[in-house]
Amino acid sequence: MATFPTPDPRLNPPFVEWKESLASKRKKQWTIFIILALLVTVTSWRCEVNVNSFITGIHKGIPLFGMFFPPEWSSCASMMQPMAVTIVLAIIATILGMSFSLPCALAASFNLAPTPLRILMRSFIALERGLPEIVQLLLLIAVFGLGIIPGLIALSLSSIGMLAKLLADVIEEIEPHMLEAVAGTGATGAQIIRYAVIPQVLPALFANGLFRFEFNVRAGVILGAVGGGGIGYVMSTAMGSLDYQRACMATLLTLVLVFTAERISDFLRARVLDGGVVR
Amino acid sequence: MLSVSNISVTLPNGKRLVDHVNFRVGRGEFVAILGSSGAGKSLTLRCIVGLTQPSEGEISITGEAGKIYHSTNVCAKELRRARRHIGLIFQGSNLVKRLTVLENVMLGRLGHISPWRSCLFGFKDSDAREAMVALDRVKMAPFAARLAGSLSGGEMQRVSIARAIHQRPLIYLADEPISSLDPKNAEAIMAILQPLSRETPVIGAFHQPGIVAKYCTRALGIHAGKVVYDGSPQMLPHQLESIYSGSDQQAYFPVLESNVPPSFFGPSAQPSLQQGVPV
Repeated sequence: MATFPTPDPRLNPPFVEWKESLASKRKKQWTIFIILALLVTVTSWRCEVNVNSFITGIHKGIPLFGMFFPPEWSSCASMMQPMAVTIVLAIIATILGMSFSLPCALAASFNLAPTPLRILMRSFIALERGLPEIVQLLLLIAVFGLGIIPGLIALSLSSIGMLAKLLADVIEEIEPHMLEAVAGTGATGAQIIRYAVIPQVLPALFANGLFRFEFNVRAGVILGAVGGGGIGYVMSTAMGSLDYQRACMATLLTLVLVFTAERISDFLRARVLDGGVVR
Repeated sequence: MLSVSNISVTLPNGKRLVDHVNFRVGRGEFVAILGSSGAGKSLTLRCIVGLTQPSEGEISITGEAGKIYHSTNVCAKELRRARRHIGLIFQGSNLVKRLTVLENVMLGRLGHISPWRSCLFGFKDSDAREAMVALDRVKMAPFAARLAGSLSGGEMQRVSIARAIHQRPLIYLADEPISSLDPKNAEAIMAILQPLSRETPVIGAFHQPGIVAKYCTRALGIHAGKVVYDGSPQMLPHQLESIYSGSDQQAYFPVLESNVPPSFFGPSAQPSLQQGVPV
């Protein structure tokens, strides 16, 4: 065993133990790094990623990029309606997601729900989160046809999935003592949820809900491009008909939309977490 | 009057955490339970309020007109009825931190008001006025509108006493109410509990023989689950050897374990083998 100049020989064994644990941690970190580096090299070689095709692509791309400018300002007014559709879609999906995620989260948390219900709800959430929004949308389009409705359902469902998972984790972190204290007064299950659980998770619900709103605006644009309506649909049709200047206008409007949504949600989130709006 | 007759808590492996504990507490008594960590103090108190079910024995509380409430071997509804008459004061953070101080006090009477009304419409103004009186008894009335999470440890402890007072119980249970407090705050809390005990008996778990001798009327010493001393707190200094000898077991806390079924909504499950969270 290696020795180290510790002031007291009794301290030597634990010190050596600490040193060795540190060394083994280093070893693990290096192993992970090497595996990752190998993965990147092998996969890019297998997929024929090479610098050459990137450079020729850029040569073709730069003149094409010029065709996007100037943006077609005149089409701005006609894009207001699809923009409103995207905003309304995001708002409704967020509200639906927030209202349904709370009961789902209660049913999914181990400290409140009986085990069978919890497993059922956790599986539903996992399934929901396992399917990307686009896949859900394509399935829903097969059922409802093109339009806003499948986009709305897809966004709402994935909002419920994400918010329920986050909230269930928040609920599971509530101190058991606190719930016991309320249960100890003779309160019923519903009263415990109403007076001990919900006040504790409400701020998390709002903060995450606002975050989800931002996400829904962005996701709404993407889903629109696949056939869900709104500004995304305008952009994809413009691109499809090689009307690049119109597509550029739609891109600018999307940027404005997303930035505004982010600012609003940041502002509201700060207010919520201050305790000013929701306590 | 509280009667604890012959209760034991036994783990599946045969280990006795509480071993045939017997005592009765009547009017005017301020009983202190002393013992090293893991001796079974908290577990005994948890059994009284039905948060842990003893493997054998019986616990009952006699109310006015000779009405008897049981907290052992009863259904969830009966248990809630018994809990209404037990004022629970935990150590430290058991308040709902996102509710105001006054709302926390009002939680004390959840067991007495209709579940549906309280869940849908909240509390009545008359409840709030009564709660103010309880809050005033612990000198916390000026803090009524503050969020419970913003209080200091001593202030939180006063509020949880106010919650128990507002409950108007037949007996107060205090699980280490002064353990996390500085000496001055600890004395202040004892000075609140002592006059309470003249009207309604108080049972508390404590670690400070000096303070116990000053305020309590009776002391119970528990060692390895057995009552080894029952008598005047003034004689405690001579008993410390037998109460605190040798053992330093790990405290047993069933609810902190994720695999134990939730106990908030009814009679809890028998304790399982998963233990080992030192408290």
